[in-house]
Amino acid sequence: MEKRIILPGEKIAEGRINAANTFFDGKDTYATAIGTLDTTDRYMALESPYKPVVEDTVVGVITDVRHAGYEVDLNLPNSGFIPTRNVRITLQLGDFVLCKIKLVNEVGDVDLGEVRRLPIGKVLRYPPSKIPRLIGRKSSMIEVLKKYGNGDIMVGNNGYVWISEKNNMPIILKAIGMIKENAHRSGLTDEITNFLKHDGVGD
Amino acid sequence: MTEWVISLGGTKDVQLIIDGKRTDGRTLDELRAIRIEAGVIPEADGSSYIEWGNNKIVCGVYGPRECIPRHGASPYGATLKCRYMMSPFSSLEEHSRSGPSRRSNELSKVIREALENVLLLGKFPNTQIEIYIDVLQADGGTRTASLTAAAVALANAGIPMKDMVAAVAVGKASETLVVDLNKPEDNLGQSDMPIAMSHRDKNLLLVQMDGLLTKEEISRMLDMVEKSCDEIHEVQADALRRIYKTEQKEPFRW
Repeated sequence: MEKRIILPGEKIAEGRINAANTFFDGKDTYATAIGTLDTTDRYMALESPYKPVVEDTVVGVITDVRHAGYEVDLNLPNSGFIPTRNVRITLQLGDFVLCKIKLVNEVGDVDLGEVRRLPIGKVLRYPPSKIPRLIGRKSSMIEVLKKYGNGDIMVGNNGYVWISEKNNMPIILKAIGMIKENAHRSGLTDEITNFLKHDGVGD
Repeated sequence: MTEWVISLGGTKDVQLIIDGKRTDGRTLDELRAIRIEAGVIPEADGSSYIEWGNNKIVCGVYGPRECIPRHGASPYGATLKCRYMMSPFSSLEEHSRSGPSRRSNELSKVIREALENVLLLGKFPNTQIEIYIDVLQADGGTRTASLTAAAVALANAGIPMKDMVAAVAVGKASETLVVDLNKPEDNLGQSDMPIAMSHRDKNLLLVQMDGLLTKEEISRMLDMVEKSCDEIHEVQADALRRIYKTEQKEPFRW
């Protein structure tokens, strides 16, 4: 059966249920964001701002170099921080990094670790709620993109996507745009494979 | 083209309703044609475009992001910022001059305060959420159309909200209660009352009034608003659902 689209304020369950992006008014549970309700009455938000979670892999851009560490733009209201003790390499302003979230405190400050510098490329802003589709089941989608683009792609949970400059950039950007627009559809990996095969990339 | 005599305060002399039909041929409780598109600005977190009769309004939502200036940030929740602006070419009147004015400040404030009631701002401390509303063409009822568009843009951005908001103006023209006033009825009618209502629990989020109305008239008007807001909500819901339709969608045209 088709998934039903739920709007903010629509009732999703009688009584209280524990789900993200919902609120309880004392009697029933309602959705707070546009989402889908499947046959098992499970509610999933289609759009939601990214909330940092410990152990998430994120892509960032160095925005400040300080004595104590580096400030990183993470597509969040607050910038992330890499303390010097968590990093062995020297980073420069404007470097792209891949790191793991080590700590999130109650006001939303993020501490990062396990830093890897990414080579020259491009960083895209992508809706964080649609990141799972960009990766695909068992990273099938990202494998397809890497195969036909002939380069590396790193996807951060925060909604930043790094694309290596070795990639066939126009085709990959177009494919990523297609995934973004059709993120709610099924059978997307086949569709994208088909597009990449026929659009000048070949096998 | 019809020339309207502008007279503030309302007059009974101008015939705005003839045989139960209004100046644009509508019945008394009929809304103008509404068309809403969501997600029209790719760079914004959420956006919408509304055509409500001759009103044309674009709305973009950005955030939650870093609060600037920093002293405006609140640890209790996100700061909501709203900017309503009429384009210089949107209307023939003085109030369509661009830039901050008494009118645009007031409308930004009432729209912000109406939306603060439904948004769960407490989830994003020390941040700001910005709503930019630009009126491209004005023909009476821009504040209600803006509020309707802003609710769609906020839902499109995924900002958590308890309820959808729809707004419509009711008023009195030629001694008759009418819904969704257009420019002639607004300027030449006797009274005008824009109302915003939340969809689920029917809370009043905005009530303003121009002119005079009796208690009975207001209670009758509230019933008319409730019915009209349900109609508007259907258009809003359709616009939001249309983004996620499985079949190939038509590209958006202005």
